[in-house]
Amino acid sequence: MTVFVARRVLQGVLSMWVLTSLIFGLIYFVGDPVELLTSESVMTGDEVEALRTSLGLDRPLAAQYGLFYVNLLQGDLGVSYYSGEDAMAAMLERLPATLRLVGLALAIALVAGVPLGIAAGRNPGSLTDYAIRLFSVTGISAPTFFIGILLIFVFSVQWSLLPSTGMGDWRYYVLPALTLSLFRIAFFTRMIRATMMEVLSLDFVRTARSKGLVERVITYKHAFRNALIPFVTIAGLEFAQLLAGAVVTETIFAWPGINRFALTAMYRLDYPVILSYAVIIGLTFVIVNLVVDVIYALIDPRIRY
Amino acid sequence: MRILYKLATVLVAAGLVTAAFAQDDRLDVAFEGGAVTLDPHARSETTTFAWQHHIFDTLTRRAPDGAILPWVLTDWENVEPTVWRMSVREGMTFHDGTPVTAEDVAYSLTRAATAPESEMKTYVGGVTTATAIDDGTVEVETAQADPALPINLSNIALLPKDAVEANGMQAFLENPIGSGPYTFVDWQQDERLELVAYDDYWGDVPEYREVLLRNIPSGSARVAALLSGEVDIAQKILPQDFARVERDPNAYVTQAASIRTIYLTMDYWRTESPGLPDGIENPFLDPRVRLAVWHAIDNEGIVEAVMGGAATVAEQFPPPAIEFHDPDAERPAYDPERARELLAEAGYEDGFRLILDSPNDRYLNDEFVAEAIAGMLSEVGIDTDVRAQTRTVFFPSLNEGAFTMYMAGWGWTAPYPTLPGFMRTRDMEAGHGTFNRPRYSSDSIDEAFIRGDLAVFDDDERIANARAILDEAIYEDVAYIPLYYENTIAGVRSGIEFESRPDEVMYAFEAKRDD
Repeated sequence: MTVFVARRVLQGVLSMWVLTSLIFGLIYFVGDPVELLTSESVMTGDEVEALRTSLGLDRPLAAQYGLFYVNLLQGDLGVSYYSGEDAMAAMLERLPATLRLVGLALAIALVAGVPLGIAAGRNPGSLTDYAIRLFSVTGISAPTFFIGILLIFVFSVQWSLLPSTGMGDWRYYVLPALTLSLFRIAFFTRMIRATMMEVLSLDFVRTARSKGLVERVITYKHAFRNALIPFVTIAGLEFAQLLAGAVVTETIFAWPGINRFALTAMYRLDYPVILSYAVIIGLTFVIVNLVVDVIYALIDPRIRY
Repeated sequence: MRILYKLATVLVAAGLVTAAFAQDDRLDVAFEGGAVTLDPHARSETTTFAWQHHIFDTLTRRAPDGAILPWVLTDWENVEPTVWRMSVREGMTFHDGTPVTAEDVAYSLTRAATAPESEMKTYVGGVTTATAIDDGTVEVETAQADPALPINLSNIALLPKDAVEANGMQAFLENPIGSGPYTFVDWQQDERLELVAYDDYWGDVPEYREVLLRNIPSGSARVAALLSGEVDIAQKILPQDFARVERDPNAYVTQAASIRTIYLTMDYWRTESPGLPDGIENPFLDPRVRLAVWHAIDNEGIVEAVMGGAATVAEQFPPPAIEFHDPDAERPAYDPERARELLAEAGYEDGFRLILDSPNDRYLNDEFVAEAIAGMLSEVGIDTDVRAQTRTVFFPSLNEGAFTMYMAGWGWTAPYPTLPGFMRTRDMEAGHGTFNRPRYSSDSIDEAFIRGDLAVFDDDERIANARAILDEAIYEDVAYIPLYYENTIAGVRSGIEFESRPDEVMYAFEAKRDD
C-alpha cells in the first residue's frame, strides 16, 4: 500500500509538471499580454517597453521558464497584471465560495441521484424506470446556461421567490446549486441504474435470492454495496469536474468564485491568475484521483496493489 | 388561532413596510465588470473609474455633452504657455472631516503624473510639477504647452495627502476616504462595493443613502435581476432584451451615443498585403477604392438590423461628446452604384478577393457587423470573407500588421493624443502615430502637428485646426471609415430618474427619485 501511494504521488507530481509546462507554453506562444493591455490605450512606445520589462516579459524563453518554476515552487505565481495583487492569494480568497457551491451541488446530486438510480435499476422496464429515465435524459441533454436562465426567470423574475445573482444567505445558494447539480443527478441516476442492473444479474444475487433473503436486504446490503465501487471513482472525479466546470453557472449567477475569476483573467491574458487557477484545479484532480484509488482499495477487499 | 392569524398579519405588514423603506433609500447598481482596485490612480479602466468616483472626486468633470465642468478645481488660467494657475473649491472636506486644500490637489496630481504604479500618465504625463502656492491655489507646470490639461484632469482623482502618507497606500486602501458623494463601507475586488452617502458633501447630497455596486457579468442575468427588482439600474442591456424591458411596467431602457467609435480601415502602405490573394497589388493604395468601400457600406442598415438600435450612426470619426465633432460634417452617402463606378475607374471592374479581420468578443455584435460589411462589399464586387478571432489573438496580430482591412473600436477617453496617434506618420521610436496601424501618412497633417496646431490655447482656433486635420484624413483621404458609435445602455426601474452617459460610466449619485 505504501509503495502504491508513493508511486501515485510521484505520478501526480509528474502530471503537475506536464500541466504547468503546457500552460506556460500555451501562454508564451499564444500572445503578448502587453499588446492587449495597451492596444486601446494611449501609451507611448517607451511606456509599453517599460511595462514589458517590469512584467519580466522581455527575457528569453528559457529564463522565463526557469524563473517560472523557481517561483512556482515557492508558491509565488506572481501578481495579477491588472490589479497588482498576489495572484494565488486572490485565487485562494475566492476558492471557498466555489467549494461551498460545488459541495452543495454534489450533495444534492448524491441525495437525489442515488435513490432514483436504485429505484430505476431494481425494476428495469417498469413505469417508474421509464419516468426516471425520461428525467435523466432531459437532465443530461439540457445545457447549463439554459437551465440557469430558466430557473432565474421562473423563481426570480416571475415568482420573486429567490435572488438570482450574488452570494449571501442560504437563499442565494438554491438556484446555482440546483443548476449545477441537475446534470449530475441525471448522470448519477444513469450510473447507479446501470451498475445495479448489472450487479442484480450476477450469480451471488441469485444465491442470495435462493437463500430466501428479503428483496430489500438483497438490494441494499448486497447489490448496492457492489454497485457502489465504480461509483466512488465517478463521484470523486465529478467533484473535481464540478470544481473546474462551474464557469457557466458562476457567470450566470454572478457567483464570486474561482471559475469566473479565471474566465475574466483569460479575457485579459492575465497569466499569473490563469496559472494559479490551473495549479489549483490540477492539484485537485491529482489529489482526488489519489484519494479515490485509496478508497477503492479500502472498500473492495478484492483489489490489492 | 385568531391571535396567531393577527400576529402573522402584523408580521407580514411590518416586513413589507421595512422592505419598502429599505428599497426606497437604497440603490443597487449592476455593472458588467467590477473595479480591479480602489487606488484611483492605478488603473485607467472605465468600470474601475466609475466605481472609484463614488468615493473620490475628480479634479474636473466631464458633463454628458462633453463640456468640462469645474469640480475640485473651480477655475484654471494659463499664465504662460507651460504654466497653469488653478483655484481649489472652498469649503470641501474629506470623509474624515479634514478640509481639502491646495496641498491635497498638488499631491494627487504629482502622484498621478509620476508614481511608478500610476496609469494616469496617459492623461497627465506631461505635468512636471504641481505646487500649492497658497491654501486655495495650485500652480502646475507642463513640459510642453498643453491646452488639453483641464480635459485630462477629469480623469484624475483627489486623494487626501495626510491620510495616504500617514500609513502608506496599502493601509489607506483598507478603508479609503475621499471627498466624493459616498463614503466607503465595504468592498470585494471585481465583485461589489458598498457605500453610504456623505452628508457633508460639497455638492448635492445623493438621493439614495445606501448604494451597492455589483458585478453581474452575464447580460441575461442582469436583465433578470432588473426585472425581478433585485437591482435598480443594470448596465449594458443587450438589444435582444430591449423589448422585454420596455414591456415591463416596472422598468425602462436609457441610451446615449458613447464615446467609442467603431471604424474600418485599410492597409495604406504595402503593395502586397496579407489579406489579399498572392500577386495582386494592394488596391487600397488608390483613394478611389477606399472611397468606394465607404459608399458600399450602409451604416443605417447595420445600426438597425445588426445592432438592434443599440448604436448611433457615425457621420464622422469623433463621437458627439468630443469637442472635435463637427455637427455639420457629412459623410459619403450609401451608394453601391457609385462604389461600383469608382472601382471600375480604378481598374477593378471585376473586383478582387479580400479578408476582413474583426474581433469576435470585444465589441457588441462585432462579428455580425463584420459579416454584414462583408456582404455589402461583396455586393459591389469586393469578394470579402470575414476572419473573426478572439481579442487575445486579434489585437496582437493587429499590432504585428497581419491585416489588410480590419474593423476595431476606439474609446476617446483622451481626445488630444488620439489625433496624432491615428493620423501622424508612424514613427514608433519617436512615439508618433502609435495607433496608426494602417500607416496612413500625409505631409500636410504631419506639418500641422509639428506646427503645434493642437497646442493652441484659443479654444475655437484649436478646434477648427483639429477639424481641418480630420477633414483631410477622413473625408479626403479615407484613412478611417467611421461606422457607428456604440450606445451606452442601461435598464432602470420605474420611479428612478437616470440617464446613460456617453463616457460609459454610471454614477449612482446621478440617480434621482421620479415623483
